[in-house]
Amino acid sequence: MAKKGKADRQDKVARRATAENGPRIGVYVCHCGLNIDGSLDCEEVAKYASSLEGVVLAKDSMYTCSDAGQEQIKSDIREHNLNRVVVASCTPRLHEPTFRAACVEAGLNAYLFEMANIREHCSWVHLHDRQGATEKAKDLVKMSVARARLLQPQVETEVPITPRALVVGGGVAGIQAALDLADAGYKVYLVEKEASIGGRMAQIDKTFPTMDCSICILAPKMSEVGRHPNIELMTLSEVESVDGYIGNFHVRVKKKPRYVTDDCTYCGDCIKDCPQHMPNEFDCGLSTRRAIYSPFAQAVPATYLIDMDSCMNKHGIVACDRCYQACQHKCIDFSQQEEILDLDVGTIIVCTGSDVYDPTPLTELGYRRFPNVITSLEFERLINAGGPTGGNLIRPSDKTVPKSVGFLQCIGSRSKRSNPYCSNICCMNTIKDALLIREHWPDTKIYVFYMDIRAFGKGFEDLLMRARREGVVFIRGIPGEILQDDNSYSLKLIGENTLLSKLYEYEVDMVILSVGIEPRKDSAVVKRLLSLPSMADGFFMEAHPKLRPVDTPTGGIFLAGCAEGPKDIKDSVTQASAAASRANILMAKGKVTVEAITARIDPERCTGCGLCARVCPYGAILVDEETKVATVVEAACTGCGACCPECNFGAITMRHFEDHQILAQIDALAESDAGGKILAFCCNWCSYAGADFSGVSRIQYPAEVRIVRTMCSGRVDPKFVEYAFAKGIAAVLVSGCHIGDCHYINANSQTEKRVQRLWRKMARLGLNKERLRLAWISAAEGMRFSQEISALKEIVEKITPEEIEKGIEAFAPKRLPKGEHPDEATRPV
Amino acid sequence: MKRPGLFNEELLYECYQCARCTGSCPAAFAVDGFNPRNILLTYLRLGIEAVITDEKLWCCTTCHVCEDRCPQLIDVADLLCSLMNEAAMQGHIPEKVRASAEMILRTGRALLVSRRVDSIREKLGLKPLPEVPMEEVEGILDQTGMAVLIG
Ligand SMILES: Cc1cc2nc3c(=O)[nH]c(=O)nc-3n(C[C@H](O)[C@H](O)[C@H](O)COP(=O)(O)OP(=O)(O)OC[C@H]3O[C@@H](n4cnc5c(N)ncnc54)[C@H](O)[C@@H]3O)c2cc1C
Ligand code: SF4
Ligand code: SF4
Ligand code: SF4
Ligand code: SF4
Repeated sequence: MAKKGKADRQDKVARRATAENGPRIGVYVCHCGLNIDGSLDCEEVAKYASSLEGVVLAKDSMYTCSDAGQEQIKSDIREHNLNRVVVASCTPRLHEPTFRAACVEAGLNAYLFEMANIREHCSWVHLHDRQGATEKAKDLVKMSVARARLLQPQVETEVPITPRALVVGGGVAGIQAALDLADAGYKVYLVEKEASIGGRMAQIDKTFPTMDCSICILAPKMSEVGRHPNIELMTLSEVESVDGYIGNFHVRVKKKPRYVTDDCTYCGDCIKDCPQHMPNEFDCGLSTRRAIYSPFAQAVPATYLIDMDSCMNKHGIVACDRCYQACQHKCIDFSQQEEILDLDVGTIIVCTGSDVYDPTPLTELGYRRFPNVITSLEFERLINAGGPTGGNLIRPSDKTVPKSVGFLQCIGSRSKRSNPYCSNICCMNTIKDALLIREHWPDTKIYVFYMDIRAFGKGFEDLLMRARREGVVFIRGIPGEILQDDNSYSLKLIGENTLLSKLYEYEVDMVILSVGIEPRKDSAVVKRLLSLPSMADGFFMEAHPKLRPVDTPTGGIFLAGCAEGPKDIKDSVTQASAAASRANILMAKGKVTVEAITARIDPERCTGCGLCARVCPYGAILVDEETKVATVVEAACTGCGACCPECNFGAITMRHFEDHQILAQIDALAESDAGGKILAFCCNWCSYAGADFSGVSRIQYPAEVRIVRTMCSGRVDPKFVEYAFAKGIAAVLVSGCHIGDCHYINANSQTEKRVQRLWRKMARLGLNKERLRLAWISAAEGMRFSQEISALKEIVEKITPEEIEKGIEAFAPKRLPKGEHPDEATRPV
Repeated sequence: MKRPGLFNEELLYECYQCARCTGSCPAAFAVDGFNPRNILLTYLRLGIEAVITDEKLWCCTTCHVCEDRCPQLIDVADLLCSLMNEAAMQGHIPEKVRASAEMILRTGRALLVSRRVDSIREKLGLKPLPEVPMEEVEGILDQTGMAVLIG
């Protein structure tokens, strides 16, 4: 924000510079070989463009994006003193950056460039309607020119980035991310909720596919974290609050006391005398621990701690001091208090991992009713040399070694009764476990009951084949139920082998439920604190599933490991290094430029009502309680525009997507034959891209539609829709990302509310509600987009001139708020 | 009445053949070859003819255990019911089923109540079975079309 004053000044200088000359627009209509010119008349469109107000030259060319095409634009800017450029060609999602760069090279501000999409949205989707396509292209150019006349130069601001990082969660992903960043020279705060770092990987015995000892490969990394000069490790700690924005987060961390000081030498003298026994969580309750304890031998930090919930001393009253007496170094300190730590960081990496599914609700499997039915995580503790049985696999009922075991796959996964997704690791985990049993007790009979074995990774199929060769029996068909013999506690599995279409009954000594992975129980808290979106299944959502897989939609916050979705150690570590590298890029640059499309609030008009702040998905609007004025934190604002329609006082300006610029586009399209046209608002990320995809797929639809692009459907102000009806436009489509997929977390929920309000208003005014349509269209749903337009076309055909007239009257300009009058709106600069 | 056409077929395609239904089915364990999973698959792949002409279809007791345990929430028992309905409409009614249906038509009961039943009831301290209100039963059988189906 340091540069804001300067930016404002530059802004003003730039504004003056262009205002002096009035608009001098150059229009370039691209043939794109035959891609455009094949189905519409580019020459005619260019000729038409030259007749438009403010246009000083209009040309058509073969390939505008070629070097020659760009040079032409640059020399025209200089020679003809152009102060606006419009290119009518392909989608701005493709070449807007190219043409903007060309403008900038010729000395024109990037924000004075505008594009009309006459390929994806016109020539490719109206292949057999040359007349209609040409008319539509003219309209699209007219709309772009109208908008261009009103464009303002913008200056992008720069925000400094604090060169420190916060990593939340100290599983293998958090450990890797913290080490990478610390090695790169940044200060890293690692916040871990439990008493030790390590996460799930510390609990498991061996790791597939290589069968390495899990803790043997993890422990060295854990100790490195403990002693790294750049890492400040905070265990028993949780994030309390997060404020700020990319590069400048203020984080408050609550650190619970250990009641054992850092002088602890990890000798363990203290625990022997503690009278309190509790189930050991780390061993899934299969062993006990004292009130003073260490979760496991390799724990980092290597100090004991007291669990005050199980200690006899409560509320500062010391009823027992046996551990205190036993400790020669006098490290026990009952007076320790909870601490609150304030951190300033530039980037945050979320590595909170996952929980495992609890199969108790699947009563037919008898988990918790039958002692010898255990989960795969419990199995890991049982077979682990550091676990409660010293690595001896024994039946909980009678402590004997099982002679036969059955693994049940997909428990809690791929099911509408629990989690619908595949948990990714349980197939391989079972194969690993089966081989471990084979290795130690070769005579054990091992059955794996499965639906599909998913062995997709490097080295996975080899491991599966090894298990088959070594006699592990794979049976396709999950048992319908498990029965227990109440004398021997053996278990009977009944089901069907689908490959033989034969029913089976197997008797085994022990059953291991291969449970799935699910989001942490408290992930909603992390989600709220960091404003993270999540998928329907509860895992955190990445900014883009393919191209930005470790970014979150919020700048400066990244994801790694199972918090993002079920995955194995290798993938968790890969993501962690990727996230660290993404954070490093930001911090190494030291600053970030914010696209100049953010909201600005006019303090003169703002009354401080705070309505805008309430809808901002990023908490980017702060209302000063004293001055009663709201301000936008530019670095946190993403430019979605959801706030703008909320303001009743017209105090918010969405830069580059200003009200009057959008109204001017509507004016332009309504100038001729409004009653036969459809206006479609499309959001940049989903529905506009969906319309592009229709084009790429050559899906044909009626030529009556004209698209206006906004960044988010949340920008679509109800008054735009009313204005369109007031101008006699037949039908309006408001479209955006599917609910839950919004590029701006949940800004489209505002869209939904506003459209519903409009429908109610239309019903009240006696207007046909079908003229306004709301559709969620993803970038992949080109077909969907064309269907929506076809559906609207049918409605347009039914609409009578009387109905159009009724709409014009109902929403006549007098109803528009002051300052938005169309004449005023479209007045050139 | 449940008929195959009225069934949400899309949901059936979500069956991934885990066989929990068959593994849970008491009838499948009692009758060799009765297999709800297989019926569903046969119906989807080979069409309705292949399943309604097979008399084993009628082994389902409509206990609904399969539905309770199906991870995909497929209404397996409803599907079987609707297939039985369709089979009956097309005249594929196994002899034994027809016999008990006829028994209902005649006596209002699926099984013949012999004197032995009465004496067992008496020993158990139960009252003798009440008279069947045949008029009501006939009314129901008429309205459901069962009379015609069996007739
Ligand atoms: C039974 C089982 C067996 C497995 N076997 C294998 C195998 O053989 N090979 C393999 O590659 N993978 C295996 N996996 C998968 C492997 O465990 C995971 O890939 C890996 O643990 C993911 O690491 P993570 O750091 O993302 O999450 P986690 O290991 O879950 O660590 C997350 C950490 O974050 C902490 N945390 C959570 N919430 C907060 C919060 N709000 N604030 C602060 N800290 C928080 C937790 O305490 C924990 O320490 C297995 C998984 C299971 C369940
Ligand atoms: S990984 Fe295997 S066991 Fe786990 S949910 Fe997927 S298919 Fe089922
Ligand atoms: S609602 Fe959107 S445009 Fe408005 S301040 Fe928030 S992020 Fe920026
Ligand atoms: S239980 Fe459900 S999903 Fe599994 S085979 Fe039966 S119908 Fe299909
Ligand atoms: S409803 Fe029918 S198919 Fe399903 S479990 Fe019961 S008897 Fe078997």
